[in-house]
Amino acid sequence: MTKLLNILALVAKYGGLLVTLPIWLPFWIIWFIFEKTGINRLIANFMIATGLYLTFKNLFRKPLRLGLTCFAIMIAFLIFSVVTTLKTALNAGVELSADNRLVVVNSINFTQPLPYAYVNKVKAIEGVKDVVHMNWFGGYFQEPSQQIVTMAVDPENYLKVYEEVVIDDEARARWFGNRRGMLIGRALATAFGWKVGDLIPMSSNIFSNREGGHVWEMEVSGIFDGRDEQFGTNFAVFHYKYFMETQTFGGDWVGWLTLTTADPALNEKVAKAIDEEFSNSQAQTDTSTEKAFNKAFIEQIGNIGLMIFGIVFTAFFTILLVVGNTMILAIRERTGEIATLKTLGFSARSIFGMILTESMLLAFIGGFAGLGLAYVMVEGAKTFLAQFLPGLVLSDAVAMQAIGFMVLLGLVTGLVPALNAYRLNIVTAFSRR
Amino acid sequence: MTTDILFDLKGVKKSFTRGKETIKIFDGLDMQIKQGDFLAIMGPSGSGKTTLLNMLGGVDQPSSGEVWFDGARIDSLSEGQLSKWRANNIGFIFQFYNLMPMLNAARNVELPLLLTNLSAKQRKQSVETALQLVELADRAAHLPKELSGGQQQRVAIARAIVSDPKLLLCDEPTGDLDRHTADEILEMLQLLNEKFGKTIVMVTHDPSAASYAKRTLHLDKGEFVEKDLAA
Amino acid sequence: MGSIFSQISAVVAMNIRSLGQRFWMSLAMVIASAVVVAILLAFLAMAQGFSKTLESAGADDIAIFTREGSAAELNSVISRDQVNILETAPGVVKDENGPVVSPELYVIVDGIKKSSQTEANIPLRGLDDRGFAMRKNVQITEGRMFTPGTNEMIVGAGILREFDGFALGQEVKFGKVIWKVVGVFTTGGNVFESELWADVKVLQSLYNRGSSYQTARVQMSSANDLEAIRAFVEGDPRLNLDVETESAYFKAQGKSLSYMAYFGWVISSIMALGALAGALNTMYTSVAERAKEIATLRAIGFSSLSAFVGTIVEALVLAAIGGALGSIVAFLLFDGLNASTLGGSFTQVVFAFELTSDLFIQGGIIALFIGFFAGFFPAFRAARLPVIVAFRNAA
Repeated sequence: MTKLLNILALVAKYGGLLVTLPIWLPFWIIWFIFEKTGINRLIANFMIATGLYLTFKNLFRKPLRLGLTCFAIMIAFLIFSVVTTLKTALNAGVELSADNRLVVVNSINFTQPLPYAYVNKVKAIEGVKDVVHMNWFGGYFQEPSQQIVTMAVDPENYLKVYEEVVIDDEARARWFGNRRGMLIGRALATAFGWKVGDLIPMSSNIFSNREGGHVWEMEVSGIFDGRDEQFGTNFAVFHYKYFMETQTFGGDWVGWLTLTTADPALNEKVAKAIDEEFSNSQAQTDTSTEKAFNKAFIEQIGNIGLMIFGIVFTAFFTILLVVGNTMILAIRERTGEIATLKTLGFSARSIFGMILTESMLLAFIGGFAGLGLAYVMVEGAKTFLAQFLPGLVLSDAVAMQAIGFMVLLGLVTGLVPALNAYRLNIVTAFSRR
Repeated sequence: MTTDILFDLKGVKKSFTRGKETIKIFDGLDMQIKQGDFLAIMGPSGSGKTTLLNMLGGVDQPSSGEVWFDGARIDSLSEGQLSKWRANNIGFIFQFYNLMPMLNAARNVELPLLLTNLSAKQRKQSVETALQLVELADRAAHLPKELSGGQQQRVAIARAIVSDPKLLLCDEPTGDLDRHTADEILEMLQLLNEKFGKTIVMVTHDPSAASYAKRTLHLDKGEFVEKDLAA
Repeated sequence: MGSIFSQISAVVAMNIRSLGQRFWMSLAMVIASAVVVAILLAFLAMAQGFSKTLESAGADDIAIFTREGSAAELNSVISRDQVNILETAPGVVKDENGPVVSPELYVIVDGIKKSSQTEANIPLRGLDDRGFAMRKNVQITEGRMFTPGTNEMIVGAGILREFDGFALGQEVKFGKVIWKVVGVFTTGGNVFESELWADVKVLQSLYNRGSSYQTARVQMSSANDLEAIRAFVEGDPRLNLDVETESAYFKAQGKSLSYMAYFGWVISSIMALGALAGALNTMYTSVAERAKEIATLRAIGFSSLSAFVGTIVEALVLAAIGGALGSIVAFLLFDGLNASTLGGSFTQVVFAFELTSDLFIQGGIIALFIGFFAGFFPAFRAARLPVIVAFRNAA
């Protein structure tokens, strides 16, 4: 029986090592290089010189526990960073919206159209700089499931209103001059492998072409980039004129208007003027800032989003709680040693510092590993997800938040045992054993 | 002011409260320890040996009375001042060695030196000297768990003397060792006392251990009693 | 050897009884597995509630026609002529008023969400008596049906729950048009309750749709008629339409939140790894603390297997307690929780989280997974502990 167990134990041990290979191998390689190059000794000497040697040794006294605890912390910060990044990407539309941009939609709902005549009427209102009208095309490529955000716009005004759409002059001229031309975003170009000059059959899940079918042939005139990394480039725009002349519904109508004001301070006045202008018309309008409009749109996803983030953050804090508990208990085991150090003449303050440093180090090792892994994952998923969730970037703000929580974790988990050690009475500590 | 009196205890009282009870351990103890002495303190459990040792080491403080060390009062020092005082003047040797399990022998010995301003090179030198003295130079890189009990205690002795303190305080230093190893340790203490002039105070309940000392005091119910030593 | 089970049970009992002494470590493991289970259940309940709400709306014996490639009702267009042709299709049930066909309009209007006080998309469906009667379990719970030809509408119970301003008797303004709420309807909790219904002819004129519709529903005598109808549609070039059963249509729509379940599994699996790391810490500490006990038992003659099993059972018990705790918390917090989100048709779907027994089983599996692996490796350490430890000094 014992023999069997021994064999099983060997299998389990090496099996476990093998399975977790991707996790520990990088650490081991780094360690190996450090050992061979003598960097380890350098670090150790540095630690001794700065009085951190004991802290360092304490941290590594139980490598298994250190590994497990770091792993748990890593997971917590991985989840935190990735989910916060997802959330930021979802909100990118709100964050990136320009201060002086307004959106005019039909007051019934933004899916209801507006008469084309509104474009010039809005343009005439005082304080309005540029106006572009847009139509939702309901585009897809080949399969209805391969949806592509596609809008029919007035090209010149589109580029005036959306300054964050960056494109060279050559492509711009090419697009203006080609009635069937369309501009596509970098993410879209990458996802489908489209190049300038390609002829693309774009389908619409709403409109029908007069020539029959639901397919429009368009030529890629240019590929645009976003001014900010977070700006999603997963959409396409093409000529409104081409759209109107070829679709079967006919009529002169637009989906909605986007405009810029001369000054953000005028926003409110302009919005009011527009809505009043059309208050007695057949189609009433609802004008809001781009930020408010995008925000309302995200709100449609609703409390579900809130719940998801609530749940994930609960998870995050629970892991921290569990890990913190482990760390506190781990230090409590060392009561005798702390008493010995105190007897040898180590001051209460230096022991306090030692323990706090140790818990900080632990939080940072695990935390940065998680943050790093999150970065790798986000970078890896970026191109893959660019079509559905553009603007996926692990921003400095997210990293700073994560680091803030690492400091908090280190403080909270270190403070209690450090204070206990600080106050530890040598006599009672020894008599307790 | 220097005298040959290292320790002077005047009217030391010490009591504990355990629950509602107040237990008096010392009720006006007077005692002097001379420089260069090797003193064994014996007595049954609960006689106050360890408490006395703790007070001498500045680990515990008397309820009232005075403790003078080398012409300075130490009973009124703060916790922080006592830490420094201990680091400068006292070497401790414990029954269970109390080595740091994650540090090797040399690093354990080096611990008290981390509290000084010595350079890394100087520290290394001192550690080597101390380990040579306890005849463990070849085990410098070993972890405590790789050493026998006697070897661990010798590392502890090296740790106690590495910063060259005046006084060594030993709490049952041989309590966990076999006779033969105990004798080795005690001979080593004797050597430190005679050749290096260390003052040693050793608490023990082992008469044969006490026989290595220059003099033995018997403590019973908080007072010294005269007792004929059979050994 | 015959007493191996009594040995094991003695060790297990002892381990469990001494759990209290390792209270904080044990609690950490319990909480870790509880949270993993609760999170998994929350996501699964969300996905389940959403898909049930949609799936239960569809009937097998109703065929739904949409313009080809439009994927959702919102995008579709069907002309009056096409509807007329459809009425002649084989398999269409006829009653005293002719073929049972419901051409419908589907437009989006704004409503104010109670939870966020922001505007959100609500579908305003235009239909007639036939369309109304075609819905399963449909019932007017308050007020009455709208009168054809008037600006009257009836509201789904879900809308009433999640949105402001649609109470019975209230007047609602969409653009320039004022509507009056004359009734409240339920459809057994499915997605139709997240809609507003009004007369399709009135909608056609108010929204400039002329005589066109967006979708048509057809009552078939049985689900088997679908193939005949499909063949009919494909055979007529004027009918550039897709057709499928209503249940298939809603099943596809219900999938739009199924990523939630995947997301839940991914998140909770990753979390389970973190929890496992914490739990392993707990169990290794437990073995270390009981090292002397275990060695003493071995010295007396207990087998190493009993030490092994004892440790695994301890871990399983802790994880199971956590799993049960997590399930209870998830049930109390999430079961029946009302929520609304954007569905496949770009409109709000009001649904309730639903925790069913099969979800609890999934939660139990992940908890026991944590318990087993958290116990497995430390159990080897316990089993292989040298007996000599029993005689070693405390220090």
